[in-house]
Amino acid sequence: MVKKLIDHAMNRRVGRRDFLKGAAAAGAVGAFPAIITRSAFAADKPTVVNSIRSLSNPYHATWNAGGAAFANSVGTDYVTLVTEGNSEKGIADIKAILAKTGGNCVVNVDPNDSPDARPIVEACKDAGAYVVTQWNKPADLHPWDYDPNYVAHISFDGVPYGKAMAETLIKAMGGKGGIVALGGIESNTPAIARKAGLMEALEANPDVELLDFQVANWSETEALEKTNAWLTQFGDQIAGIWAANDGMALAAVEALRADGRAGTVPVTGIDGIQLAVEAILNGEMAGTVAWDPFWQGGMGLSIGYHAKTGEFDPTTEPKDHREFYGKGVIITADSAQSYFDTNIAAEPTLDWNDIWGRVNGQIVY
Amino acid sequence: MSLDTSASATESGAAPRPRRWRIASWAPVIVLVALCIIIGLINPNFFSFGNFVRMSQTAMIPLVLGLGATFIILMGSIDLSVEGILTLGAVILSMLVLNGANANDLGIFGIFIVLAVGASVGFINGVIHVRLKVPSFMTTLGVWFIGVGVANALLGGMATRINSPLIRGLAIDRFLGFPWGVWLALLCFVIALIIQNYTRLGRYIYALGGGEELAELSGIPVGRVRIMTFTLAGIFYAVGGILAAAQLGLGNAQIGNGRLFTTITAVVVGGTALTGGRGGVHQTLIGVLIVVVLNNGMVLMGVKPSVQIGVQGLMIIAAVALSIDRKLIRIVK
Repeated sequence: MVKKLIDHAMNRRVGRRDFLKGAAAAGAVGAFPAIITRSAFAADKPTVVNSIRSLSNPYHATWNAGGAAFANSVGTDYVTLVTEGNSEKGIADIKAILAKTGGNCVVNVDPNDSPDARPIVEACKDAGAYVVTQWNKPADLHPWDYDPNYVAHISFDGVPYGKAMAETLIKAMGGKGGIVALGGIESNTPAIARKAGLMEALEANPDVELLDFQVANWSETEALEKTNAWLTQFGDQIAGIWAANDGMALAAVEALRADGRAGTVPVTGIDGIQLAVEAILNGEMAGTVAWDPFWQGGMGLSIGYHAKTGEFDPTTEPKDHREFYGKGVIITADSAQSYFDTNIAAEPTLDWNDIWGRVNGQIVY
Repeated sequence: MSLDTSASATESGAAPRPRRWRIASWAPVIVLVALCIIIGLINPNFFSFGNFVRMSQTAMIPLVLGLGATFIILMGSIDLSVEGILTLGAVILSMLVLNGANANDLGIFGIFIVLAVGASVGFINGVIHVRLKVPSFMTTLGVWFIGVGVANALLGGMATRINSPLIRGLAIDRFLGFPWGVWLALLCFVIALIIQNYTRLGRYIYALGGGEELAELSGIPVGRVRIMTFTLAGIFYAVGGILAAAQLGLGNAQIGNGRLFTTITAVVVGGTALTGGRGGVHQTLIGVLIVVVLNNGMVLMGVKPSVQIGVQGLMIIAAVALSIDRKLIRIVK
């Protein structure tokens, strides 16, 4: 049977040329910009555009849902552009949509890489469109240098949330004991900031000892292996585990489970993914922080839309409305159920007119 | 200098070479024993039963992946699709058995389907490599990305929690103190050993690695052997996917990250030559143990995280340098 199958494959005359032709055709189809249009372009209201990395991770999928919800609330056309991790594609797709709408659009972009922000902002200014950037931009590129088109830049500060999670952990441990900590990629900005927050919390709590800090590179597998080794090294000394993101935190929970200790040693993460919220509900994790991508996807557009339609003038706004840190949502055992009900089980309802409601201070470079 | 080499070349013509080979093939075992002693002296916890169980849990996945990769490397080819097939297997498994996302509950049939998927992807690897004459390096690189891509598309970037007691039991339930997954990995090892030593396929693989043209002239169906070997490797990677999903209790598209590096390191450190024809699955077992013991030991000894990855890199270069018989190789590319 197997032999026959192999023989068949061996004797099939698929020429290499045929194969290459097929591959070329597939490539040509893929080269079309991934513009997902919801309906025909309306002439008057500005089109709202989200540019994100992909729709294949929960974070950006939720971001996209937020954008669609905002567009729905004002009754305008909504377009999603995906970069698939390719900066050139990201910039080219934005230029294409600027040309298509004649500049009558609002762009909310999570640039693939920091340097991409500059050409994107310049293209929007030239076309007369309004743009909001999030997470990534060069430190010397400021919204007020591109008045009025570059409305705002939004980011999140890892330090207070790394600290808040450490405090949640210490509280769950009863204020004393030994903890181990799993960090993200060493050179990664959020990883550095979250670790700094952990260290601040440890300084304020001298009864808590950091037994070891290891880098698990945001990887579940590595986090599981490191936690396993710690269970040998420190055994019962481990009273809590702090992780720089939810994936690593969940892996630590699995290592504890194999040891029969899941639920007895508190674990905290950051990011607010669904499985982490469920683990908090089960009592296996103590806390996480949700960045609320639904808010990022919708509110980024809302800020740009309100500026574009003249409801506020970006040029007169203070600097802490132009370059600001957003607020994360801290989720602990007390708030997990209500967060789950309003954000995961159902689509969240946000007031899209409350555009400065989550301003958490001006970004410091 | 030139006098020296010519002198040693004439000497090595007869008796000394076999002995040098024997030492080279025992080197990994010596390294493993030395590592255990050093780490045990620094941290006596290393020799606790609990730590052996934890290390065996860490070793089970690299072992089954290494078994598959060993056969490919023995042929003188390379397989980079480890992470692709593992990820695809883990994701498909998480969607077929009792899980948190849909109503499927196929249990053991889910496992068989995943093994079949692994075999088919491996088969595709082999067919593209043999029929289209694409080098194994490029073929498997492509299949790696296709596998991860399909897994990503299946889940839409989300993670699926596995609730099936059968699958979770592989990581949690124990027999004689060790999780069932470890026993499954050992069973795979025995099967691989039998294939390697007592089947025609196993002997043909060595023949191909030793000299493919000679093997072809001797009437060995070279293309068929290659396709079957890639198919076999695909099944082992799928087992790795099942174990990975069992261990983390979920399937997601990032589950395979970093597995390829550990797999190739383990195979090479065990003493299987990248040039093909020398080594075997028994040596891969030693290689996996060296990698796992070293990683475990570095954490136990409190080595800085930034140093750990560098040590792995040094180890892979040192292992290849030790395993190469420089007298047989004139050109290195």
